[in-house]
Amino acid sequence: MLEIEELHAGYGGTPVLKGVSLRVGQGEFVAVVGPNGAGKTTLFKAISGTVATRSGRIRFQGTDLAAVPASRRAHLGIAHVPEGRQLFPSLTVMENLEMGASTEAGRRDWARNLDRVLAWFPILAERRSQLAGTLSGGQQQMVAVARGLASSPHLLMLDEPSMGLAPAVAEFIFERLAEIHREAGLTILLVEQRVAEALESADRGYVLEAGRIALEGTHAELRRDDRVRQAYLGM
Amino acid sequence: MLQLEGFLQALNAGLLLGAHYGLMCVGLSLIFGVMRVINFAHGDFMMVGMYAAFHIFTLLGLGALLGEGAGPYVAALLAAPVLFVLGYLAQRFLVSRVTGTRVGNLEGEGHYAQLILTLGLSLILQSGGQILFGSVPVSVPSELSSEAWELEFAGGALVVFVNQARAWGAVVAVAIVTLLVLLITRSRTGKSLRAAADNVQAALYMGIDVDRAHRLTFGLGVAITAVAGGLLASSYPFTPYVGLEFVIIMYAGVVLGGLGSTVGAFWGGLLIGVIQQCSALLLPTQLQNTAIFAVFLLVVFLRPQGLLGRVSERT
Ligand SMILES: Nc1ncnc2c1ncn2[C@@H]1O[C@H](COP(=O)(O)OP(=O)(O)OP(=O)(O)O)[C@@H](O)[C@H]1O
Ligand SMILES: [Mg+2]
Repeated sequence: MLEIEELHAGYGGTPVLKGVSLRVGQGEFVAVVGPNGAGKTTLFKAISGTVATRSGRIRFQGTDLAAVPASRRAHLGIAHVPEGRQLFPSLTVMENLEMGASTEAGRRDWARNLDRVLAWFPILAERRSQLAGTLSGGQQQMVAVARGLASSPHLLMLDEPSMGLAPAVAEFIFERLAEIHREAGLTILLVEQRVAEALESADRGYVLEAGRIALEGTHAELRRDDRVRQAYLGM
Repeated sequence: MLQLEGFLQALNAGLLLGAHYGLMCVGLSLIFGVMRVINFAHGDFMMVGMYAAFHIFTLLGLGALLGEGAGPYVAALLAAPVLFVLGYLAQRFLVSRVTGTRVGNLEGEGHYAQLILTLGLSLILQSGGQILFGSVPVSVPSELSSEAWELEFAGGALVVFVNQARAWGAVVAVAIVTLLVLLITRSRTGKSLRAAADNVQAALYMGIDVDRAHRLTFGLGVAITAVAGGLLASSYPFTPYVGLEFVIIMYAGVVLGGLGSTVGAFWGGLLIGVIQQCSALLLPTQLQNTAIFAVFLLVVFLRPQGLLGRVSERT
């Protein structure tokens, strides 16, 4: 579904990604972990088109993304739930979800998607007319995920959905993601600092370090790897 | 009694003129609110709108066609599509270079570049206006501008004259502001403009074409202010430099109303109109704008978020 080959990308003069190759298959749940500043967010931005690709290739469902402007990528079926949530604070919860449904597919499936996300995140139904900027961090993250789902995506990309959340709330979000993956069969690409939880839900994982893929493998392989155990799982 | 009458007269004139100012401010505020651009050329776009109304009126023979009653209003409204296209193109080819999705790599988020670009645009419009339209003051002929309704109070002891041209202009202004507010609060396009205003990057992730949203915003903002100019053009002889007189009023109104708030901008403009006209009772006319600035500074001191702005509106 998503194939990235030898991707180089960065900001201004500084290269961040130095030849990243990565694949996500249809229906897979893939995690990308790595230390701060490794380039995980930059990788997501390159996929979404808000960071320019220097060289290398990103293909999504057979389409080379080089020719697709950032504002069209959501319409291909890529939903990006960005780091730090990035809601529209002066819009209500409902309006945020509506903005998620800006894609053709999102408009078509609006009623069904709304039912589904309100079932997954019931608190949002209560808060539907509250301004998103006034929600708690956990509620904001739920809106961010729900807003991504409202576009009827083929690929859901989540950048540190547990950032700044209490463990119980983070746990709730991870459970929901696993459920969404199971029930809707949605393909998920997840970036996480909470490596144990991320590897638990994922089928496969990549370790990104200093702009390069340092390790890759299935969930079981990574959890057995000594380097991963030492550096990320604290064992 | 005479003083009360004078005050009511000034209040009425201030409210009617203020509605026109309010409409102008709304156009400027829309652009600032959505794009975060300080458009120094806004008054000059209004000037072009006034000339557009003037030439539409004469070229289409609206005076003969609709009479000098309705004609000037139709001309003002027809100036809107012309200025929408002009604003849209200005954004497409010039302003977009220093705004929106492209400012990431510019110094100061592109604010310096925006300043220089819109100032340049302002000079070009003024000089271009002088070449095209000349510098002899013109105005749209209107028979209503010399007609007034007489309102009698206290059994005829108090008489207030309501200028008909201004009154109808105020009605049009309020109608347009209402339509715009409905558009941005209710329609999907309006919501995506607000989303793009809140967070450009997230708007892109939603699949919103932010560049297009900005072109629409600039076109719409310029067109709205142009209508306000067109409405004034029948009672206000103007030259290509008329923008300078109004751009100050517009900025004062927008800041009073709370930067970026559409409805606030209207109230801000309305207030400016009232202050300006009422201060004429006490101050010589040359000092009218001084009163505006005194109130303006007071508000900026005491309520920097504007009269209607909320402190935490944008983070
Ligand atoms: N807008 C930017 N301009 C310049 N450099 C940037 C920008 N954003 C990130 N960087 C740099 O790029 C590198 C990678 O950043 P990135 O945000 O991709 O890391 P990350 O893996 O997501 O880290 P974290 O786990 O802290 O979120 C860092 O060195 C960072 O300083
Ligand atoms: Mg990051």
